[in-house]
Amino acid sequence: MSDKDKRTIAATLAAATCSLLGSGLPDPVQAQEDPTWNFNTALLYYGEDDDRVQDLSLSILANRTYVDDRVLTLGVTLDGLTGASPNGALPQSFPQTFTQPSGKKTYTIDADRLPIDDTFKDTRLALTANWQQPLGRLYQFNIGASASREYDYTHFGINSKIARDFNRRNTTLLAGIAIARDSIEPVGGAPDGLTAMANVGDLSNRRNSDTKDIFDVVIGVSQVISRNLITQLNYSYSDASGYLNDPYKLVSVVDGVTGEVVPIPQLPGSEGPSHLYLYEHRPDSRAKHSLYTQAKYHMAGRVLDISYRYMTDDWEIDSHTVDLRYRWPLGGSSYIEPHLRLYSQTAAEFYSLSLVDGETLPEYVSADYRLGEFDAMTAGVKYGWQTGGGNDMSIRLEFYRQSGDVASDVLIGNQVNQDNYPDLNAIIVQVGYQFGR
Amino acid sequence: MANRDFDRGISLSNAGGYWRGQFAAMGGPCEVLCETHSEAETERLTRIAADEVWRIEEKFSRYRRGNIVDRINRASGSAIEVDAETAQLIDFAKTLYEISDGGFDITSGVLRKAWHFDGSDNVPSSERVAHILKSVGWDQVTWSRPVLRMRVGMQIDFGGIGKEYAVDRAAAMIRESTDVSCLVNFGGDLAVTSAPKTFNHWVVGIEAIAASASIPANILDLRVGALATSGDARRFLLKDGIRYSHILDPRNGWPVAEAPRSVTVAADTCTQAGMLSTLAILEGSAAEAFLDAQSVQYWCDR
Repeated sequence: MSDKDKRTIAATLAAATCSLLGSGLPDPVQAQEDPTWNFNTALLYYGEDDDRVQDLSLSILANRTYVDDRVLTLGVTLDGLTGASPNGALPQSFPQTFTQPSGKKTYTIDADRLPIDDTFKDTRLALTANWQQPLGRLYQFNIGASASREYDYTHFGINSKIARDFNRRNTTLLAGIAIARDSIEPVGGAPDGLTAMANVGDLSNRRNSDTKDIFDVVIGVSQVISRNLITQLNYSYSDASGYLNDPYKLVSVVDGVTGEVVPIPQLPGSEGPSHLYLYEHRPDSRAKHSLYTQAKYHMAGRVLDISYRYMTDDWEIDSHTVDLRYRWPLGGSSYIEPHLRLYSQTAAEFYSLSLVDGETLPEYVSADYRLGEFDAMTAGVKYGWQTGGGNDMSIRLEFYRQSGDVASDVLIGNQVNQDNYPDLNAIIVQVGYQFGR
Repeated sequence: MANRDFDRGISLSNAGGYWRGQFAAMGGPCEVLCETHSEAETERLTRIAADEVWRIEEKFSRYRRGNIVDRINRASGSAIEVDAETAQLIDFAKTLYEISDGGFDITSGVLRKAWHFDGSDNVPSSERVAHILKSVGWDQVTWSRPVLRMRVGMQIDFGGIGKEYAVDRAAAMIRESTDVSCLVNFGGDLAVTSAPKTFNHWVVGIEAIAASASIPANILDLRVGALATSGDARRFLLKDGIRYSHILDPRNGWPVAEAPRSVTVAADTCTQAGMLSTLAILEGSAAEAFLDAQSVQYWCDR
């Protein structure tokens, strides 16, 4: 039988049954599985090279489908983060000493090494809940909440989404909003932007905590183009306001000729930074616009999934993301899925490797590598199979590489001798297991 | 269909919220669940179903002497004129033969002479299967409604349709007689006559029959419609590590390879559900893909 014939069998059979049984046929079948819990669990390891950030994350997503396609989804994620993160200061040809974020101790970075703060250690617990239900025949309504807690950060958010089908369910329009309030209580307090890193015990430029508010809206359309092709187009707007600094990031203040960080003489008996570093200072609002488009193409069990995102914001960061996945069935119950993601962004307007001693301070500045110009690539493969018990298991292995670019004309003096934007390499391993009741 | 005298009794019991009528037919227990508080009404409706299934069993069982199937199978090459109901079933079987490319064939019953699915290693020789296969094939039958003529040695058997047909017939007769919602269940092949009124749906369990009982039974809420299951984990042969399912492919006379142990399908009628589950099993390893293409709800147990 050809595939086409196989699809028309149900119709031919219905007609034949009708003539066999004659009139008085019952109404169309209405059968639904009893509410069941389905669990989607994943254990993820993310590890950056050079002893930078390591994350071990366990997540469990449980959903229960009730009669009439109402779905409750509950999620819990536990992250254990360890390792070190760059503190924003430049590598130098001599050792540098910094005060720890707690303000209680110092740490020293060897010559020619990227300054990283290795006191970074955190456990994060995140919870989500979502309720989805149809409203009438054509609308689908979602409402959800999210909360997370880690040592120095608390998040609480709510979201809602509504979708409507048109055009015999070939077109779906959706609109959603989300609001969140996050509180930041950094170790040792939140430093005021553009103030100098102080000596051990001096917390005069710190505030206990601060908050930020985030408001997101999304509107989108998904369109079934053909039996094999589904497309999606979303526009989203995100507005964040409040304390947007990274409280642990610094900017080196350098000599205008040598490009080297300006030393601070330490008096005998006092302990503190060896050089002059200012805490970064970002604007207190950020508005992002993004456009996302996706196409999913099915070819006899194989699925090609391509998406592209363009993001632009009022910090002058523009980014492009291309994501490609290809699911290739191997026999009846397993598949292999290669994945490639390419990312590129421009630097924030206030991104700067360093500040020059004696010059007027800019209104905003950050040397956070994540706000610089960089390209990133994720490449990997996922293998999934069905277990003997009929559950789904998968393993994913991916490599992430980020390489930044610092224009040579912004480098001052001896800065040319240092790798001011070292590459970041990371490995991602994820094991997923999906099972029902 | 069982080769024994029928016990023509029915028994009634109050199941709390509904009544249950039970009787034996087609080699197993049958029940009619009625959404009513009236024992008398339950008895009346059960009697309607029982009379109809007993009638169908008498008329179409291949074990009954003198019925239409027996007369066709003993015709020794001569033409037999059949009644309208038999003609309807033959027409239906012909359509099934065509849409399954010969996978569903009411002349395939003679293959049972070679295959005995008793859990043993008693796999027949390919010569024996090939010999019997000469007597199989709807394409060798001359059917010109209402006259049927088969070659000597061929037989027909409505066993692949009979139970589902009986469920739908019994459900239709109850539907014509009452507004009470009934669940007609003949050994797991079942249909709801009309949507229940005091509760939202009938609750039906789908048993997991695979030895790996790690898949628990599915619980299904059935408001209207029908369910049928094909396959049976207890009927198989095992030789040299190969498990031969009891579903035979009439095109080659051998069990279907890599067939699910059981397939349950939900459809508007029990006949449709039963035929889709049978056709799915004939697809072997592609059973799920076949059912996906039909856009029906199904449960495969492998």
